[in-house]
Amino acid sequence: MKKLIAGAVLLGASSLAFAQPGCGVGAMIWKGQSGAAPHILAATTNGTFGNQTLGMTTGTLGCDTDQSVQSMAMFMDNNIDKVARDMSRGSGENLDTLAVLLGVEPADRESFRKVLQDNFATIFPSSDTTSGEAVDAIVSVLEQDKTLSKYVAA
Amino acid sequence: MGNLVRFGLVVCWLAQFPFALAQSPTSDGEPLHSDPAWLTLGHYHPNTLGGGFTSQADDPDFFLSENGKHSPEAELRATLQAIQQAGDGNGHAQCRFPARTAWLSEAMGLSLPEVSCPGYQQWADELNTSSVTLVFAASYLNSPSSMFGHTFLRLDPPRTDATTNLLLASTISYAADAAAHDSELLFAYKGIFGGYPGVTSVTPYYEKIRLYSDIEHRDLWEYRLNLSKAEVDQLLAHAWEIQDRNFDYYFFDENCAYRLLALIDVARPGTQLLGEVSTHAIPSDTVRWVLEKNLVSEIHYRPSAATEVAYSLDNLPEHHRELAAALATGNLQAESSALAGLTDEQRARILDATYDYVRYQSEAEGWPREYAAPLSHDLLRERSTVEAAPDTPQPPPPAVRDDQGHDTFRASLGAGQIDGREFVRMSLRPAYHDLLDPPAGYRQGAQLQFLGLDTRYYTDNNEWQVEQIIGVEIRSLSPRDAFFDPLSWQVGFGGRRTDTGSKRVLTPYLDGGAGGSWLLADQLQGFAIATADLEVDDDLNRGYDAAPGADVGLLYQASRLSLLGGLKTKAWIVSTQHRQDQAYVRSGWHFLPGLSLYAEFIREHHYDRYQSTWQAGFHAYF
Repeated sequence: MKKLIAGAVLLGASSLAFAQPGCGVGAMIWKGQSGAAPHILAATTNGTFGNQTLGMTTGTLGCDTDQSVQSMAMFMDNNIDKVARDMSRGSGENLDTLAVLLGVEPADRESFRKVLQDNFATIFPSSDTTSGEAVDAIVSVLEQDKTLSKYVAA
Repeated sequence: MGNLVRFGLVVCWLAQFPFALAQSPTSDGEPLHSDPAWLTLGHYHPNTLGGGFTSQADDPDFFLSENGKHSPEAELRATLQAIQQAGDGNGHAQCRFPARTAWLSEAMGLSLPEVSCPGYQQWADELNTSSVTLVFAASYLNSPSSMFGHTFLRLDPPRTDATTNLLLASTISYAADAAAHDSELLFAYKGIFGGYPGVTSVTPYYEKIRLYSDIEHRDLWEYRLNLSKAEVDQLLAHAWEIQDRNFDYYFFDENCAYRLLALIDVARPGTQLLGEVSTHAIPSDTVRWVLEKNLVSEIHYRPSAATEVAYSLDNLPEHHRELAAALATGNLQAESSALAGLTDEQRARILDATYDYVRYQSEAEGWPREYAAPLSHDLLRERSTVEAAPDTPQPPPPAVRDDQGHDTFRASLGAGQIDGREFVRMSLRPAYHDLLDPPAGYRQGAQLQFLGLDTRYYTDNNEWQVEQIIGVEIRSLSPRDAFFDPLSWQVGFGGRRTDTGSKRVLTPYLDGGAGGSWLLADQLQGFAIATADLEVDDDLNRGYDAAPGADVGLLYQASRLSLLGGLKTKAWIVSTQHRQDQAYVRSGWHFLPGLSLYAEFIREHHYDRYQSTWQAGFHAYF
């Protein structure tokens, strides 16, 4: 099940930059403008720019990490500001998504949320933290936790 | 000679089949190739002129027969032949056309050779779909191109699994594959007249949320469809068939919503959603059809980032809102003692609202990263120290959904008087919404009208006149407040009667304006707009005239009653030098669903004389 979800996340990701621990460069959090003025361009209403065809990639840019961590990294790269927000609150669907991607059992969810909230300042030491760095930090924070370390063991 | 050989080959090929199989009649005696389900699978539509069919697919790879685009029969024969071939692998017709294969084998009771399709199998496994949700991205006030809304499908994993998370679900969208460098104008042109290929794409739901909810500030409505497992499988199988296949894209009919309707029609033969499309497929209308056909089992509302920000700011007590504003502008530090005296929950609410507001401003107003990023970080770090606070309350769903708003086609009948001359008014407006239409389900202060035709029959001389033709008319009156300062603006073009001093002539016009509006009470806003008008006509002295002007007024929008009143002034400066001043009141009384009573009165001073116009009648929406 976990593998299937992870696969689904990778689906259609051909055009995305990967942010994995040690591979590629993740987006900096709290980016400024989102690029071309989205309200004016009709792009997202009636069109898609670029060639986002249906297809799948499981290409991992030569990186050899645990698949669940990779999927988490990809999700983080797209949603890092929302993950950071949920993490600071200790709740929210983006944080739950991380838990799903790492395969955290429902019984461990509460401590997963709490550990990440408590370690917010470690995971995001500054506003320039990249998503790759944050993923690294999440992995090492979880590794140090007795109950949660099993979810990031390679 | 060549033709003879080819002819011979065709005959030989046909001879491979027993006659009955080739004709394949259904139980009611109709040949199988004219079964509606087959026509839907091939995207065939009857030709407007003459008999026969043409498929909307514009890609030779979508067909197995050379005549496939125009002959459902040839395509059915070719498909039957191909799926019965022995063989293996992704290139086999069974793998390329799993939906056709499933339907044909069911309809004819075929026992087909087992073919393994690793590519399709892997794709379907990874999508891991147990149900399908139609998602509608509501319109966003300040974006004309979003105003019709947008729809896509979400493929939901089984809910029984405790680890299910819908953010990770995949979505299927159909959109114009526009080149990034095309300008808005070119985009509009090609979108209307054709020129963009349409492509089907699969992306994770969280990317869609990021796009619509975070960047474009559009609420999402999720309509879970009640398709059975077999129907879901057939929908996916057909999505696989049309993936990467070009269907030319047209804004008004063959658009995002349209192709999704085809997928649902394939999933549940007989639904005939496409039969509802006549001239245009407005996404909100298509949602209505899906609801009318009883395809929806559950509806869920997902507020946009903007809706959430507005809601959490609105819910702060006045004093806390001031603290939030001070935090956002940097006049107060997140660690400040001003916050220290508050309860955990109060601090959490203030920090949450402020962070969401800063994010919103960074996305929408382009607050510079150098300012917003450290501030965001401070707010979150401080928030992470507040542990026991309950979850932030979520905005409740609006009382009226977008699909519950009035229908978009409007026909009007009324009577009135201009300068003592009586007339009967007949008017049609195919789409979409005006400020005085029933406001429920639409954005407050938003107006988008397309292709309206307004005519008057003057009873004194039995003359029928076109009063106005609307090309496009957009008004966006978004109120400003302490946190948000959107521009109110308007733009329109078409043809309208204009007073030249001696007669009223039909003149092409282009007008626009910009200004501000302010909420005075819950449903009442005041606005002040600087306007500019351009008219072009032989009857004008120099062939055209232009007028800077102003429009100041009040707009009241309640569920039963809409009122718009104000003062307008224009100074015509090119062909004639004179002022045109107007006081106007327009109203709509929405006394029945689908029916409104309208009335308007205009008192005008123009060419040194006063003139009054009044009219009243009914608007019917369908």
